[in-house]
Amino acid sequence: MLLRFLVLALLASAGAQAQVLDFTDAERRAILRHGPWPAPWAPDPSNRVSGAAEAIGFGERLFFEPRLSPSGKVLCATCHVPFRGWQDGRARALGLAEAERNTQSVVNVRYNRWFGWDGAGDSLWAQSLRPILDAREMGGSQAQAATLVRSDPELSCGYARTFGAPPPADDALVLAGIGKALAAFQETIVSGRSPFDDFRDALARNDFSAMKNYPLAAQRGLRIFVGRGNCSACHFGPNFANGEFHDVGVPFFVAGGADPGRHGGIRKLQSNPFNLLGPHNDDREGASATRTKHVALEHRNFGEFKVAGLRNVAQSAPYMHNGSLATLADVVRHYSEISPDRLHADGESLLKPLRLNREESADLVAFLESLTERASTLPPRRPGTPCRP
Amino acid sequence: MRPRSFVAGVARCLALSLLCLAGSAGAAELPIFDAHLHYSHDAWDQLPPKQAIAILRKAGLKRALISSSGDEGQQRLYAEAPDLVIPELRPYRSRGEIGSWFRDQSVIPYLEDRLRRYRYAGIGEFHLYGADAELPVPRRMVQLARQHKLFLHAHSDVDAVERLFKQWPEAKILWAHAGFDRPEKVREMLRKHPNLWCDLAFRTDHARAGKVDPDWRAAFLEFPDRFMVGTDSYTPERWYYIGEHANWSRQWLADLPKEVAERIAWKNGERLFGDMLSEH
Repeated sequence: MLLRFLVLALLASAGAQAQVLDFTDAERRAILRHGPWPAPWAPDPSNRVSGAAEAIGFGERLFFEPRLSPSGKVLCATCHVPFRGWQDGRARALGLAEAERNTQSVVNVRYNRWFGWDGAGDSLWAQSLRPILDAREMGGSQAQAATLVRSDPELSCGYARTFGAPPPADDALVLAGIGKALAAFQETIVSGRSPFDDFRDALARNDFSAMKNYPLAAQRGLRIFVGRGNCSACHFGPNFANGEFHDVGVPFFVAGGADPGRHGGIRKLQSNPFNLLGPHNDDREGASATRTKHVALEHRNFGEFKVAGLRNVAQSAPYMHNGSLATLADVVRHYSEISPDRLHADGESLLKPLRLNREESADLVAFLESLTERASTLPPRRPGTPCRP
Repeated sequence: MRPRSFVAGVARCLALSLLCLAGSAGAAELPIFDAHLHYSHDAWDQLPPKQAIAILRKAGLKRALISSSGDEGQQRLYAEAPDLVIPELRPYRSRGEIGSWFRDQSVIPYLEDRLRRYRYAGIGEFHLYGADAELPVPRRMVQLARQHKLFLHAHSDVDAVERLFKQWPEAKILWAHAGFDRPEKVREMLRKHPNLWCDLAFRTDHARAGKVDPDWRAAFLEFPDRFMVGTDSYTPERWYYIGEHANWSRQWLADLPKEVAERIAWKNGERLFGDMLSEH
């Protein structure tokens, strides 16, 4: 009886061990850097209503407000569709007209340091104004948006409750307020915990029993991700993004020219009256504007695009700045077969073809899919109750 | 292309350009000699020669030193605009050979064949570092450059540049990106090698927001005849950056004395390559 028990115990142990890879200390350290989740976050000092309940409610209302577009046909949620992972599933965004870039999800957007594929926004509130004013997206204007908020009793009330005073006569101030309320709402859109997070936390506490629940294919893909793939050099930290910009060998021709990417983004940032160097920054100490003050144009910025965060990445197809890759398998193939000739010899030295075989590619996809939240942590959309001053 | 017609054509174009410039000095935007362009195989379909040349003219380029992988690219451009394009012969048949060409014996017959059929101002831009310069293929390339009196356009570190000069002490070398080295080191190399010139392609450390870095300013003032600007269109999309780069160059050049700025902007390129072409 005792012998039988020992044999069964040994078999069970061998079976369990077969379900968890023997990660090296270096791999363990690299894996642990991708958590914990959710990552700590502090309200945005450049936005005095960041994190405020009234602002979140007002921002949610504005997010679904079609009249911010003079057409009445396009709202923020047209492209950032809640049930599509807060993006649109299209290769390129379609507002009043088709744009040149893919819609980025706003899930976890609060963890960004620059906003948009080109980083033209240095705050979430400034970035939130861009689609309103872009002729191809919502086609609005500062005056039109400000007039709407001042004249509509509900919106005017929401503004007053958020900022403690009715919308002023200065259109720019009202528009900045719109952006700040929209930002406050989007800051609440955070992904839930994923199978990877459970594995990562189990690894942190050496909970072997919990670790083995993580599929072996995902573990093998994770090993590639933090190891020979060197993916975590750019897809860094709990949000799997280093917040910076790179040319990863994706062609960037557009009709009649090329998408300048980060180079154009820096130009737009520097000329934007709503950037953090301007009068609408609520950060009295000015520390939030340091990055904006020191950003400088470099030739390498031409054709660079922002590193995307990877949480819920399986829900945000198609991929890359122009939506040119339809599936995660396509993305893995891109990095597996990337041509170093597309990259400058003294530029993106981190990138080289991974040369993954079929099984390794499938493992990497399995890992990326394991970054999908098990369940949304977002509350149901709030009912549109009348605003009480 | 026949050698005699090539030289005559270039000489005529140079003369006409200089006359035009003399007549409009100070009135128009600063002309630019772009010393670092590529028109490689993956650009030909996206940017046919007429379109590519239109981009160069719109950018206000007086002349462009262009190489391509394979060589057919700049020949197409030269046929389209002999007044604008100065061809270089790159030892790559595709851009995939950047890291392998110096060990590939088949590069030599390729170079010999092209040199027999066409005329060039130089061989390059090639990527070559350290002791690789001593390998048989680069050595033969240097011999061919010597035989045809061509300059070498080297994307190299200091070590490889020194080895190239050791093989051919009279070589004329255009040091691509000035080796991505510090201005102090670049000055040291320029003092040591009177036949060394520098292109500043893909660098931004010498100027920020239109102001020239003090260390680089010292280099430009000490060697005003030895620098050139260049875009480096290493991907086809970057052809659309040529105009932006020309304007960026004009901006920081305006922070230098006018005569120095004009030399770096275009006169050095005109003088260097005009002289070399007239030797044929």
